[in-house]
Amino acid sequence: MRRYRLFIVATAGLAVVLIGFLVANLGENLVYYRTPSEVADATEPGPDRFRLGGQVVPGSIVENGATILFEVGDGKEIVAVEHSGAPQQLFREGIGVVVEGTWDGTVFRSDSMIIKHDEQYRTEDGSVYTPDSHQP
Amino acid sequence: MTAALGFSALVTALVSAVALAFTGLRAFAAGGGPRARFRLPVWGLLVGAAAAMVCLEFALLTDDFSIEYVARNHSTTSPLLFTIASAWAALEGSIVLWGLVLAVFTAWVYRTVGDGDRIGAAALAVMGLVAVFFFGLMLTAANPFATISPAPVEGAGANPLLQNHLLMAFHPPMLYLGYVGLTAPFAFAIAALLAGDGSTAWLERTRRWTLIAWSFLTLGILLGGWWSYEVLGWGGYWAWDPVENASFLPWLTATAFVHSAIVQRRRGMLQAWNVALVIGTFALTIFGTFLTRSGVVASVHSFTQSAVGPALLGFLVVVLAAGFGLFAFRGHLVSSTPRLDSLVSREGAFLLNNLALSMFAFVVLLGTIYPMILEAFTGDRVSVGAPWFDRAAIPISLVLLFAAGIGPVMPYRHARGTVLWERTRGPLQFTAVASVAAVLAGLRSVAVLLTFALAAFMISTIARQAHAAARSRPERYSTAVARLYGSDPGYWGGMVSHIGVALVAVAIAFSGSFDSRQTIELEVGASADFDGYTITYEGPFARQDPNRTLIGATLALARDGRHLATLRPALAQYPNQVQAIPTPAVRTGLLEDVYLSLVRIEPESGRVTFDAHRFPLMWLLWSGGLLVVSGGLLSFTGRRRRRAVSLEGGIGAAV
Repeated sequence: MRRYRLFIVATAGLAVVLIGFLVANLGENLVYYRTPSEVADATEPGPDRFRLGGQVVPGSIVENGATILFEVGDGKEIVAVEHSGAPQQLFREGIGVVVEGTWDGTVFRSDSMIIKHDEQYRTEDGSVYTPDSHQP
Repeated sequence: MTAALGFSALVTALVSAVALAFTGLRAFAAGGGPRARFRLPVWGLLVGAAAAMVCLEFALLTDDFSIEYVARNHSTTSPLLFTIASAWAALEGSIVLWGLVLAVFTAWVYRTVGDGDRIGAAALAVMGLVAVFFFGLMLTAANPFATISPAPVEGAGANPLLQNHLLMAFHPPMLYLGYVGLTAPFAFAIAALLAGDGSTAWLERTRRWTLIAWSFLTLGILLGGWWSYEVLGWGGYWAWDPVENASFLPWLTATAFVHSAIVQRRRGMLQAWNVALVIGTFALTIFGTFLTRSGVVASVHSFTQSAVGPALLGFLVVVLAAGFGLFAFRGHLVSSTPRLDSLVSREGAFLLNNLALSMFAFVVLLGTIYPMILEAFTGDRVSVGAPWFDRAAIPISLVLLFAAGIGPVMPYRHARGTVLWERTRGPLQFTAVASVAAVLAGLRSVAVLLTFALAAFMISTIARQAHAAARSRPERYSTAVARLYGSDPGYWGGMVSHIGVALVAVAIAFSGSFDSRQTIELEVGASADFDGYTITYEGPFARQDPNRTLIGATLALARDGRHLATLRPALAQYPNQVQAIPTPAVRTGLLEDVYLSLVRIEPESGRVTFDAHRFPLMWLLWSGGLLVVSGGLLSFTGRRRRRAVSLEGGIGAAV
């Protein structure tokens, strides 16, 4: 029976070490998500990657050879983005995007773009259902 | 009209569920009671749940847009199959399906309950209580029969993701069969706690439900991965996305339970641990439902959001508090004295398996809820990168493969070195030869090589066991091999699953380590080289289906001048959705898949941009996964013959 107890103690010790290791590692593997307001207000320029989400400002898209320049806004602030790589089919003015990359203080350099899922369904006559619009 | 009928069906089911809970608890308190008492509540629950589903389907099929659910998930142009599947494509309908599956399992449990059966009565009461929650949810926060007036002339149409691939019609029901099926062992574990019954009776009784739920859960996860790969087109099958983790978490603990249940049935150990595992597994299914159905995580899958989230969270808290509270107060009544003779034994391997699976579940849970906790306290929105999960998952998986390889050849109680050596000598030689061959063939990655070696060891030990077992039988060798499964379906079914696990592990290791990706841009008529292949762009195409617009590129794939396939990756645009759904084109080969996913097509010039991926051994992943599922079903269907199998110290009753 002593061996059994030893086994339990060893296991518990191992588990504690593992948990410590995991939590310590979590920090470097987090990808932060920020809005243009947060970037304009508080984010320091630097090599840290994060995700920026917002809407493509109408009239801001400029094709620039291998990269594409546009602005992302959230109704309050606007951030300039330089995206390398081909934009997706649906990329256009006014659409919601999430780009991932780094912030150098003036421009957000992204290399990955997700077009945001639109939660709204549109009917034929153009009226919009949202999941919360319960009519009595 | 349909709405009123459907609503009254839900009321019927709810009233029956309440009655079932009361009847069950009263019968339990009275020490059993006649089973006839449960007939009416169980039938009421089943008929009510089935009628609600029928009403929902009827409303969809008759274009009844006065019902909000129909108006939001259906249109007159939806094809018939998608119309039927729309009944569970969105939140409210999926809970109706959930309720129906729960009612079916409840009726199945009822069939096994006898007169004066205290444990059975209490289990039915727990099933009733769970049903009360879900049908209560349907009558309040997630009413599938809520009406709108004036009724629109046309609805919004089926969910584009569903319309894009019929697989979406099967993935949720499979997962639900798994999730809901786990309610049965949970109910019996709670019943055993209530009764303070320390016997293995509850395990014996729930074995079949556990296995069938586990098999369907496995199938659901497999289908989810396949759908992710074949349909979503982001270039992978698993991203440690919270929604994927939601289905994986209960699978991990359920797998642990399937194994530890064997130890309890064979050796009377781990009784309290099993009860805790089952409660944890059920809580994780509710947690998973909460994750996917509350919009708490914004991910690819999150096309549902409603007031259901808080209700599910509340239910989760109740399950955890009641389940573990009961366990804290009465756990000692069902616990067994530890009788571990030696760690070097079958029990030891099972313990290692349970330890690794629990750790795995813990890691995945931590990575899944950490962003939510961080956001709740700091307001920062973060996501945990896949590398973090990988770093923990790889070593744990290797430990699991080791336990799975050595466990089935270990005798119970204490494994003598000579016996173990005799059983593993051949497989070890085979493994050594295979590993050296792999290194000579150019395999250099340590993790992949280890995975390969452990998988080879797993499969060769199983082959050796089968060979030895067949040889020890009196019949001719070929007859004996054919009859092997029938001699002990639980054990050999488990071994089929193990072979599947070994193949899946190899496929994951290879496809994850030796994949390559390239973004290619081509004018019409031009070609590009990609990892030894030549891809020629023949031109764009566009197609107008009744329910969608499809644009795509026709690409010819060739190798060494030999034409292999014509691939047509496309983007589907649905009228009710801003987001286009990409459909990748995959050419499956024996050694590797070539996978093309469209990024964009210039409308004027027709120039195309697409991502090309190479994934080795993907077919092995899918077929291995199917083997895992069929192993579970084989264990489930088999009944052990009442014939003692004496084989080298007894491989006997495994699962």
